[in-house]
Amino acid sequence: MLLDIQNVSKRYNKNNYGVKDFSMTIEKGILGLLGPNGAGKSTLLKMIATVSTPSNGIISLNKNNIVKDANYMRKQLGFLPQDFGVYPNLNAYEFLNYMAALKGIGGNKLSTRIAQLLEGLNLLSVAKKRIGSYSGGMKQRVGIAQALLNHPKIVIFDEPTVGLDPEERVRFRNLISDLANECIVILSSHIVSDIDTIADTVAIMKNGTLISYGNQEDSIQKVKGKVFETTIEKEVLSDFKNQHVVVSTTRTGNSLIVRYITDIPVKNSIEKEANLEDAYLYFTKTH
Amino acid sequence: MRIYTSPKHIKTLPEIILEDLKTIKNHSMDLLLTIIKSDYLQRTRSYAFLITLCVSLAIAYTFVPEPNANYSTIRIADHVGYYNSAWFGYVTAILTSIFLSLIGFYLINNSIKNDIHTKIGHIVASTPISNFIYLLSKVLSNFLVLFTIAAMVFIMSILLFILYNDGYPFELNQFVKPYVLIVLPALFVIAVIAIVFEVFFGKYSVLQNIGFFFLFSGLLVMTPKTEMQFSMDIFGSSIVMHELEQTVRKISNTPENTDLSIGYVLGNVKQTHSFEFKGMEFPTIFLLSRFIWIIIGILVIYLISHFFHRFRLKERISLRKHSVEIRKEAVSKELLLNKLPTPEINYSIFPLVKTEFLLLFRKGKKWLWIVNVLGMLLLAVLPIEKAHQLVLPILWFLQVSRLSDLTTKEFLNNVHYFAFSAYKPMSRLLFSQLLAAISLLFLLAVPLVVRYAIRVDFYAIFSIYLGSVFIVLLACALGILSKGKKLFEVFFFMITYAVINGIPFVDYFGGNSHDSMYLVYLFILIFVLGCISVYMRRHQLSE
Repeated sequence: MLLDIQNVSKRYNKNNYGVKDFSMTIEKGILGLLGPNGAGKSTLLKMIATVSTPSNGIISLNKNNIVKDANYMRKQLGFLPQDFGVYPNLNAYEFLNYMAALKGIGGNKLSTRIAQLLEGLNLLSVAKKRIGSYSGGMKQRVGIAQALLNHPKIVIFDEPTVGLDPEERVRFRNLISDLANECIVILSSHIVSDIDTIADTVAIMKNGTLISYGNQEDSIQKVKGKVFETTIEKEVLSDFKNQHVVVSTTRTGNSLIVRYITDIPVKNSIEKEANLEDAYLYFTKTH
Repeated sequence: MRIYTSPKHIKTLPEIILEDLKTIKNHSMDLLLTIIKSDYLQRTRSYAFLITLCVSLAIAYTFVPEPNANYSTIRIADHVGYYNSAWFGYVTAILTSIFLSLIGFYLINNSIKNDIHTKIGHIVASTPISNFIYLLSKVLSNFLVLFTIAAMVFIMSILLFILYNDGYPFELNQFVKPYVLIVLPALFVIAVIAIVFEVFFGKYSVLQNIGFFFLFSGLLVMTPKTEMQFSMDIFGSSIVMHELEQTVRKISNTPENTDLSIGYVLGNVKQTHSFEFKGMEFPTIFLLSRFIWIIIGILVIYLISHFFHRFRLKERISLRKHSVEIRKEAVSKELLLNKLPTPEINYSIFPLVKTEFLLLFRKGKKWLWIVNVLGMLLLAVLPIEKAHQLVLPILWFLQVSRLSDLTTKEFLNNVHYFAFSAYKPMSRLLFSQLLAAISLLFLLAVPLVVRYAIRVDFYAIFSIYLGSVFIVLLACALGILSKGKKLFEVFFFMITYAVINGIPFVDYFGGNSHDSMYLVYLFILIFVLGCISVYMRRHQLSE
C-alpha cells in the first residue's frame, strides 16, 4: 500500500488556503497527524477520503489517481470524520447494515462481522436501541465500527478519541496498533498523547502546510538539548511566556515550575529529556 | 421564579406585561435587539431565504398583469381597475398579505427548532433571559424576515406601476397605506402563529405543516360582511375586496351579488370593463383592530411562554440512556480485527433501498400512520373522482416531512461524509433514495390504483405513477438546490392548495381529464427535474 500526496492544495478563494502545496508519501503503518485547530488536518483528510476535491495536486493510492478515480479509494477506505452524525431513527445494527450497503459489501458473513464489531466496541447490549438515544461516546464508537466494516486497507481517523473515556481510549489505541499491521492508518489529533505511543511516523501541520515529517525519534531529536525546567514567580510568567516557548506550568505555593523550550536557558534551569509534545510545541510555535 | 402578586395588589395580565416590557426597556432592550438582529441575520443569510425572496418577487411580478396578459388576478365580475396608484397599491397589498401569509409561515416556522438543532438553545436556556422575551424576540425576527420580503414586493409594485403606467400620477400614500394597514399586521400575526405552533407542536413538524394548511384554508374561506367582521379578518383583505365590489356594483347598477374572482385565472381573455378605484378610507374600528391583533399576538406569546419547554426536551431520554450505558460496561470484550470475518463485495442497491424506505417509514410519529391508513381507506371507498382529485393529493401532502429531506438528510444528520465517501454515491445512493420515496407514494395510492386496475384504466394508473415520480423528483431537486427542506415544503404546499382549489394547471397526478400532451409535458418536467438533481448532486460531490 502506498499513498502518495503530491503538491496538493485546497484553495477557498484567491488568498485563502485550507491546505497549501502539501506533499507526502505514506506507507503501511500509523501516521500521526498533529496540528493546532485550523491547521488544515481535516481538510487534508477529507481530500484523501475523496469527499473533497483538491484545487491543485495529485493524490494517488497504489499509483491510481484518486482525484480522478475516487471509487478506487472508496472501495478500500474506512473513514471516521471529525464531525459526523447518525440517523437517529435507526438502531446500530440497521445503521451499520446501511453503511455496509453504501460501501458495497454484504454476504453471509456481514452480520457476524457487525455483531463482533459491536461486541468489541461495547455496543452489543444497546445495538437494538435507536441511535438517537445514545451518548456522545457511544455514537463515536458506532462511527469507529462503520470505519472498520469493509476490511479497509486505508483507515482515516480524524480526532477519533473525542467523547471516549480513558478506558475506551486505551482500547482504541490497541485497536489501531492491530490495524496497522496490514494497512495504512492516518490518525489526526491535536492531543499529542493520542499519537505519541502508537504512531510510527508523525507529521505536524500549521496554517495548511507541512512543517515537520518523519519518525518520532527524528522529530524529538530536533528539540533535544532545548528543553529545560526552572522555577519562577507567578508575576513574571507573562513576560517569561513572551521570551520562551512554555510547554507546561506546575504550581508550587507562590511559585511556578515551568517547562520550556529555548536555545539559551535562563539561570538555574535544569535540562530535561525531550518528548513529542515538546517537539510539537516547538514546531508549531516557532515556525 | 417571579411572583407577580403582592398582599396589597394582584396585578392584571396587561400590568404584568407592561412591567416586563418596562424591564426590557430599562435593562434588556439591548439584549432583545441583539437577539433579534443576530437571529434575523442568521436567517436572511441562508440560501433558502434567498430562493424564497426570488420566488416571491417572481410571483409578485404577476400580481398586476401586464396590459396584454392572458390572465387576471383581482377582477370584479368583468371589471378591472385602471392602472392607477390605488389599484397597484391595494391589489398588490391584498395579494401580498395572502400569498406571504401562506408561504411565509413555512419559511419561518423553524426558528426555535434551529436553536435546538444548533444547540444554541442550551446556551439560551442557561442565560437569565425570560421565556417571554426569548419568544418575543423570535416573533419579531420572524416578522422582520417576512417584512423584508414584503418590502421587496412593495418596491416591485412601484416599479410595476412605473412600467405599466396608464398616465396616472404616482401617489405614494396609495401604496404605503394598504401595506401598513393590511400587510404588516397580517405578517405579525403569522409570525406569532409560527411561534405558537413551534411551542406546542415543535417536535411534530407534520402537525405544523398540516395544521397551518387547514387553518389558512379556513381563514381564507371566511366571508365577512359587516365592519366588525372585517376587523376579525387577519389578512385584512376582505374589507378592500368588499369596497371594490361595492364600487363595481354602483357603476354597473347591479344590486345582486357580483362574482368576485381572486387568484390566477389563466387563459381569461374575455373583454373587461375598466373602472377607477381611488383607494378607500378605512373605518376606525378596522384601524383599531389592526393594533388589537398585534396586542393579542403579544398577549398570546406571553401566555404560551409559560408552556415553553426552554430546551428541556431530552431529559428523560438521557436518563434512560445513561442507565443503559452503565449496564453494558460490564460485558466489554477485546476486539480482534484479524479474527473478524471478511465481508463479500455486494453492489446491489436493494439493501440501500430497503433502509431508505425504513428511514422514510419511521420519520414522524407512529400515529401519523393511522391517518395514512385512514386516507388509504378513503381512497378505497369514496367516489373514485373525489378520491383521486381530493384525497390523493392530501394524502401525499401528509408525507411532506418525509419527502422534504429526502436528499438533504445526509447534511441535516451530518452523515454526508459517510455517504459521499461510499462506493458510487451518485448512481447507487441517489437512485435508492428516489426509488424508496416513489415506492412509498405509490404504495399509499394502492387502493386507488387497484380500483383503476379493475376498471382497466391504465392511463389513470400511469398518471398516478408519474405524479409520484414528479413529486419525489421535485423534492429531490429543490432539496439539493436549496440544501434545505423549506423550499420544497413551500412549493408542495402551494401546489396542493392549488390542486384542491381545482386549478387544472397544477394537476400533476392526472386528477382531471387532460389531452395527450399532458403526459408529454409531465415527462419533460420530470426529465428536467431529474437532470437538475443529477447535475447538482454531482456538483455537491465534487466540491
